[in-house]
Amino acid sequence: MAKPPEEDAYSALRSAGLLLSIPTLLIVSPLAGFFLGVWLDRWLHSGPWLSIAGLALGFVAAGRETWLIYRRTLEDEKRLEQQKKKEK
Amino acid sequence: MGLEFLSRVRSSTLWLAVIAALMVANYAGWRMGLGLAAGVAWSLANLGLLERLIVVITGAERRTTLSARRAGWVLAGMLALFGAGAVLLGSLPPAALVAGFLVPYAVMMFKAVAALLLDSPLWARVTRSPWRSLALVAVVAVLAWAVAASLPSLGGASPAQEPQTQAAAPAAGDAAEPVAKPGSTGPEKFANVVSVLVKANPGKEWSHWLHRFEPVLFSLFVALLLSLIAFLATRKKQLIPGPLQNVVEYVVELLYDFVVGILGPHYGPRFVPYLGTLFIYILAMNLFGLIPFMDSPTSSLNVTVGLALCTFLYVQYTGIRELGALGYVDHMAGSPRSAISWCMVPIMLPVHLIGELAKPVSLSCRLFGNVFGEDMLLVAFASLGVATLSFMHSPVGIPWQFPFLVLALLTSTIQALVFTVLSTIYLLLMLPHEHHEPEEASQPVH
Repeated sequence: MAKPPEEDAYSALRSAGLLLSIPTLLIVSPLAGFFLGVWLDRWLHSGPWLSIAGLALGFVAAGRETWLIYRRTLEDEKRLEQQKKKEK
Repeated sequence: MGLEFLSRVRSSTLWLAVIAALMVANYAGWRMGLGLAAGVAWSLANLGLLERLIVVITGAERRTTLSARRAGWVLAGMLALFGAGAVLLGSLPPAALVAGFLVPYAVMMFKAVAALLLDSPLWARVTRSPWRSLALVAVVAVLAWAVAASLPSLGGASPAQEPQTQAAAPAAGDAAEPVAKPGSTGPEKFANVVSVLVKANPGKEWSHWLHRFEPVLFSLFVALLLSLIAFLATRKKQLIPGPLQNVVEYVVELLYDFVVGILGPHYGPRFVPYLGTLFIYILAMNLFGLIPFMDSPTSSLNVTVGLALCTFLYVQYTGIRELGALGYVDHMAGSPRSAISWCMVPIMLPVHLIGELAKPVSLSCRLFGNVFGEDMLLVAFASLGVATLSFMHSPVGIPWQFPFLVLALLTSTIQALVFTVLSTIYLLLMLPHEHHEPEEASQPVH
């Protein structure tokens, strides 16, 4: 099999992939939370409260996932810069 | 890019929202228009608060009392916004509110695509010559006309038009017959082997079965075909490979480099078989619909949900295997290490659960939407080709859909790549951080 590829070659794709997942997660997480809440409301007969809580938690989840992905991308960039400095 | 990009998105969204809300209020009633406007306003406020929060947390003044106070205000604003959202959902049409909520994201996506396109060498090549630019404008105009022409048919084609559409298409030579069932709303998919068999044998038990399992049968057929190619390529491996072995080796090497490049040399090789198979399988299924009398299994939500579930379960399994059962639960609970973070566990656990559930939903809906939309585009243009010559009762239509077959080749590849990249990223987010030390990189793969 081929030797491991140069890390720099795919770092852009890795960052792009990480950032590409943000818009969809921002949209889908609140929707997933809301529909999960609707399902629980129907099951537990608890009115709109779990739907609203699910929606709110979905927004928090979206924000949290975004923050984690953003932090991961920053770490990757820092690491690559340090590597380049070492090579120089 | 960055904050400046967001500010441009905001101003474009505001203009678009005002025009769209006025149009919707005019044609669908003032409540719908107001709902759309409120949805956009809510979404913009939410994005603004998120932007503020990120600036406060990551800015130069972070870890100061001032930034903590600002973050507190932003979080309070978000809570108030959620409350306002609940009130709006109860008082205005939810469909209009959701549509308004999605407008800024649509603008963001269009702006990103436009930025990529305008910087590309292809765009420079097209706009260098006035004739090419004119041709592009003509193509866009024809596209807009076709979309506008197909809109009334979505509302219900007239019974007089349907048999004509069905009768004229097959002579185009590529099975370009959209199957329109009586009483259905608009053109459906192109005819395929299964739909032809079902149509020829109505009411039979086995034809019902075939119709029911159509996507499953096509996806199994693709899997068999790929297995056969793999078997033939590896049956007699040689040092100097033949054409088939050469192609397969090249593809495998490309996928190996791709996955290892993203996941790193320590974890990467272990996931090449799954992610590589996923890419080839999805690509083959996407392209299968372009073959006459065949169908793309990925234009069925059942198949894309199945693929996304496989990725979801594999990611969770990898998490449990890498972190251990307790480590996995700790990860899902947000890795609490202090008293405050332990108090946050009841909130962080469902938050993480929703975040994980959102991933397969987004994977499956994106792939299904894109492949289904691509199929519908081809059907719309094939119908348009038939309709163009219908005044002379021609048995042959103009194959308007041909240029879009080339576009479909491109989008099919992109969608397979996006699904694979995102699956790889979800695995990456579940794996522990790799330290990238030389000795670790040289460790054997387990």
